[in-house]
Amino acid sequence: MQKKLLAVIAVIMALAMVLTACEPAAVLEPEKIIETVVETVVETVEVEVPVEVEVVPEVAESTRKGGWFDTIIVIEEPNTDAAITRLEVEEIDIFVYTVSNPESAAKVEAAPNLDSYASSGSYNELSFNTTGPVWENGKLNPFGIAKIREAMNILIDRDYMVQEIVGGLGTPRWTTFNSASNDAAAFAAEIRAIELAYGYNKELAGELIGVEMEALGATLEGGKWTYEGEPVEISVLIRIEDERLQIGDYVSNQLEDIGFTVIRDYKSAADASPIWYSGDPNDGLFHIYTGGWITTVIPRDLGDNFAYFYTDLGLPAPLWMNYENDPEFYDVAEKLAYQDFTSLEERAELIGKALDLAMKDSARLWLYDQNSITPKQTNISAAADLYGNVGGGYLWALTIQRAGEEGGSLTMAMPSILTEPWNPIAGSNWIYDMTLIRGTSESATYPDPFTGLYLPNRIDRAEVVVEEGLPVFQNLDWAELSYAPEILVPEDAWADWDPVEMRFITVGELHAAAVEAAAEDEEAETPGPVTALRKSVAYYQEDLFDVVKWHDGSPFSVGDILMGIILTFDRGKEDSAIYDAAAAPTLRSFLGSFKGVKIISTDPLVIETYSDVYYQDAELNVSTWWPYYDQGPGAWHNLYLGLLAEADHESVFSQAKAAELDVDRLSYIAGPTVEIMKGKLDQWTEEGGMPYEPIFSEFVDEAEVALRLENLTEWYRRYGHFWLGTGPYYLQRAFPVEGTVILNNNPFFPDLSTRWDRFANAPIPVVEVDGSARVTIGDEEVYEVTVTFEGVPYALDDITSVNFLVVDANNQIAHVGKAVGVKDGLFEIVLTPEITGALSAGSNTLEVVVVSNLVAVPVSDGLTFVTVD
Amino acid sequence: MTDTTYSSEENSKPVVTAQKKPGTVLRMLRYSVGKFFSLFLAVLIGMYLVVLIANMGGYVDQIMKAQIRDGIGLQVSMDPELRRRPPEERQQLINELVAVEEHRLGLDKPFIGRSFRFLFNAMTLNLGRAQHLTSDSGSASVRLIILERLPPTLLFMTTASFSLFFISLVFALFLSRNYGSFIDKLVIALSPTSSAPPWFYGIFLLLIFAALLGWLPFGGMVDAPPPEDPIKYALSLGRHLILPVAAWLMSGFFASVYSSRTFFLIFSMEDYVELARAKGLSARDIERRYILRPTLPNIITSFALMLIGLWQGALLTETIFNWPGLGRMLYRAVQTFDTPVIVGSNVIYAYLLAITVFILDFIYALVDPRVRMGSGGPKA
Repeated sequence: MQKKLLAVIAVIMALAMVLTACEPAAVLEPEKIIETVVETVVETVEVEVPVEVEVVPEVAESTRKGGWFDTIIVIEEPNTDAAITRLEVEEIDIFVYTVSNPESAAKVEAAPNLDSYASSGSYNELSFNTTGPVWENGKLNPFGIAKIREAMNILIDRDYMVQEIVGGLGTPRWTTFNSASNDAAAFAAEIRAIELAYGYNKELAGELIGVEMEALGATLEGGKWTYEGEPVEISVLIRIEDERLQIGDYVSNQLEDIGFTVIRDYKSAADASPIWYSGDPNDGLFHIYTGGWITTVIPRDLGDNFAYFYTDLGLPAPLWMNYENDPEFYDVAEKLAYQDFTSLEERAELIGKALDLAMKDSARLWLYDQNSITPKQTNISAAADLYGNVGGGYLWALTIQRAGEEGGSLTMAMPSILTEPWNPIAGSNWIYDMTLIRGTSESATYPDPFTGLYLPNRIDRAEVVVEEGLPVFQNLDWAELSYAPEILVPEDAWADWDPVEMRFITVGELHAAAVEAAAEDEEAETPGPVTALRKSVAYYQEDLFDVVKWHDGSPFSVGDILMGIILTFDRGKEDSAIYDAAAAPTLRSFLGSFKGVKIISTDPLVIETYSDVYYQDAELNVSTWWPYYDQGPGAWHNLYLGLLAEADHESVFSQAKAAELDVDRLSYIAGPTVEIMKGKLDQWTEEGGMPYEPIFSEFVDEAEVALRLENLTEWYRRYGHFWLGTGPYYLQRAFPVEGTVILNNNPFFPDLSTRWDRFANAPIPVVEVDGSARVTIGDEEVYEVTVTFEGVPYALDDITSVNFLVVDANNQIAHVGKAVGVKDGLFEIVLTPEITGALSAGSNTLEVVVVSNLVAVPVSDGLTFVTVD
Repeated sequence: MTDTTYSSEENSKPVVTAQKKPGTVLRMLRYSVGKFFSLFLAVLIGMYLVVLIANMGGYVDQIMKAQIRDGIGLQVSMDPELRRRPPEERQQLINELVAVEEHRLGLDKPFIGRSFRFLFNAMTLNLGRAQHLTSDSGSASVRLIILERLPPTLLFMTTASFSLFFISLVFALFLSRNYGSFIDKLVIALSPTSSAPPWFYGIFLLLIFAALLGWLPFGGMVDAPPPEDPIKYALSLGRHLILPVAAWLMSGFFASVYSSRTFFLIFSMEDYVELARAKGLSARDIERRYILRPTLPNIITSFALMLIGLWQGALLTETIFNWPGLGRMLYRAVQTFDTPVIVGSNVIYAYLLAITVFILDFIYALVDPRVRMGSGGPKA
């Protein structure tokens, strides 16, 4: 009987498993898929000579608005290899992660249905302990000597590292400038000269270091350096989590080869940090640390990197505090850091000096820029930022599409999602969460994913006025730059916030108070009128309030802008109901340079801002006050729920305050705090009113309040959360435990889907140098440089410069010059008789560096030629 | 002192002739109280060790302080607006932000004091708030973090462990009856395959059934988006469970069957079993009364320990199958030095273990007549 029972149970279990296995996967029913079809009409007509005429009608421009997909399904896949396999079997469309593992990259390259977007951003270096050269413990620190550090540059073979350690997924790097950057492009020739001067030469490195070691009193005995009878030990602090493990071993090997005794100190980030970062370098616990850095946006101005990485003006850590620099280098670095120059020419001169002096200082030794890829199906395209790739960019949601398809759904995998609570003020700042948050939001301006320059989105134009003599320069025509001897801040501009009376404090009031205070203090000077170094005026698009709507259907209003201005101040004010101690230091710092803001006109919206902070690019100086907070978008009405919850100490925006009050941090998308906010919505519905009523009532009327309440209530009823944006997709639902997020197309989005399509591919030029391989010394020789992108000649207007270097037979730069544009995609280099006459017989190289206006990646090509008499 | 005798009466049922003494209840009570306190002390010491280990004896404070200063220093210095401020001003801002964060994490107080606070909170099951982790729905409450991950873990581990336990038990019994048969030899031969962990089989199963054949999903708990209909949701859940459970079974099956089978064989060779056979009792009666019953304490012990083992989840298997369970949560907590989560997870396990051990003593006495509580050990 028992046996029979067991047999029956076993059969039932097996059947159940088979049945469930056969159950088809639940998939989203594709909604309406509208395909863009290219019709090819073949028409045959009779003429004297019969011919077939192929008539290809023009493809109708898509009229679709918002994102290209109806739905984006986001799932979690923590394993890169599994993600690539899932891509291969077409279970997912794109893996939004920057993969830097060479094996995984090779797998993607080998798969016929896959390709990827490349990006950079992380880079590795060796940080030297520059203290000494003799520590208090009597040990020798050779890296206390700048010349030894400088010689280390040629002891390390960067090309070897790139090929062997990261399997070619990298770009060797000698200077503090990221390879893909505006400055690397502008100073490509100078950087190339450094690369040549500091090329790998182990033998020479050994000799140079040997000279300095002997000068320190060390002796080479039996192939080992000793100091006062003891072997010279070099402690290399090696990080173990990534390729820095191999870097550390390689550097250790090189040091051992020239006679040092190396102690390889393998440590994780947590264990290494107390030693290299917060520890005192004079304690002698390490000589070299395998450092790594990340840049997440395309850097527009790297001039301050010299001060940041080489001097005590950098990080406030003991390692930096102990940097001692050549006075000339310090002066140049400081000038660049604080923008103490008045023209681009002056800046270029300073950078030219700094690049050379930094190599002589070499407190850091740059190794390579790590490249990484975002793998995807070949038919998927999206704007991929040169640094952030798809996930770190701002335009991914606006541009991601499947070739020839409108609507339908996309399945996107990420290593982690919903890592922390989402709230716009102080919610999750994890890159994976931020990718999705950006998909639901938009900004008044967007950074160009290939140049880092800001482009207008919701503003028509802007004006930027800076004080005369400041190094600010205009690049694009939407932000008009002018200079003024003095910029007065209007008395009625808002300069601060009174959290008790809930009103702005004007510049005039602050100034009057300062005058009054000075009058009481006999020694104090009467303050003059309030001035600023920079003024910006943002002119929003005229139909802003008609076309832009929040996801719940509420029209965008000036109240949303006003809430942003208020929240800049209110959370940092001690008397505020939502005071957050964590926000106070940042506010104090902000007030140190902020001078005032004034809403000049509410419709069309025009906002004037005054500040002492300025950037080199005029476009970056435009303050828009668009309601995209630190961690996401916020409408005034959904933020109000959070403010009510925080004021009642039921739930709060920041992690620090949540811990202080022992309550949960606000999550606008799921979890118990959504219930709290629902309670606040009910309370608001019952009691009426509006946030910050004394000031809000001047800009927002009762009808708007009623409409927003109604829309938000309906939104919650339909979707069960309070996350609102104005972006191309809205959050349909988050499934926290299951690790799934569903984004749907925003039906209110006003712009055409095609608007940002030009960013689907980075226009990195393809360069080819062509010409004679044999040159007679003293004769003129002409070379052609062709510059193309996807086979099409590059427009002359889109090329910033085409520089060339002639490297002679001794590997020295013999000449640097500029190529001349002949026509689109074609440049000419003329090696004059003077240039060739200066060369000796032998093998030379002509190197060409092309810099485009459209992408901040310098591209080079070379050609070897032989000079004969 | 002989507590149990087996009679040779006709019905051959073992009869327990307990020699009742007046102090039995008192002895049991005394034993229980002693056992309770000794277990409590073990939990207390164990938990303090967990607190010390999770914090590396206080060294984690240094690590975290360095990380905070490092992170905030970078954050401030990389901000283009703040980067050009005078170093003193930047330093002041950094110090203020560091102080806020250190206060949040309690690092402004000495570790020794905090270690006792951690211990007290743990012992009183006041699990408190996580320092870094949040539940998937956004709460920092350790209780909610654990509770949120508990159902997926229980679902997976219960299905896998129960299946493994009962299937292997039944199969082991079958093999013990067919000692020396081809199947018996095959199981013995295959038992070393259990040295490979479940995640190892998981990789192969994924490759075959997900990547190659496409029959079953790669991982996760349900389809994306999760079906709204409860029946479809359950079916989807079942479909996602197949591979992880299969991996678990493949890894544990042969070793589990082998050990149980050996165990049954040992008991089936006892003198009293031979006697029963000689008396002509049916095989079924012999199995049920003379083999299974004496092995019950061991079976119950391993079953109970398996039950509380469910609490810990299965880190690597959960990772391979992207299963949102407790194992992965605990791993993240260890990575981020999130002491409250580590302690919270461990204290519940410790209590469960202590309670199980406590209760098992009583159960042994109930199911095995040879065992008497507080009498210094079993006698045959």
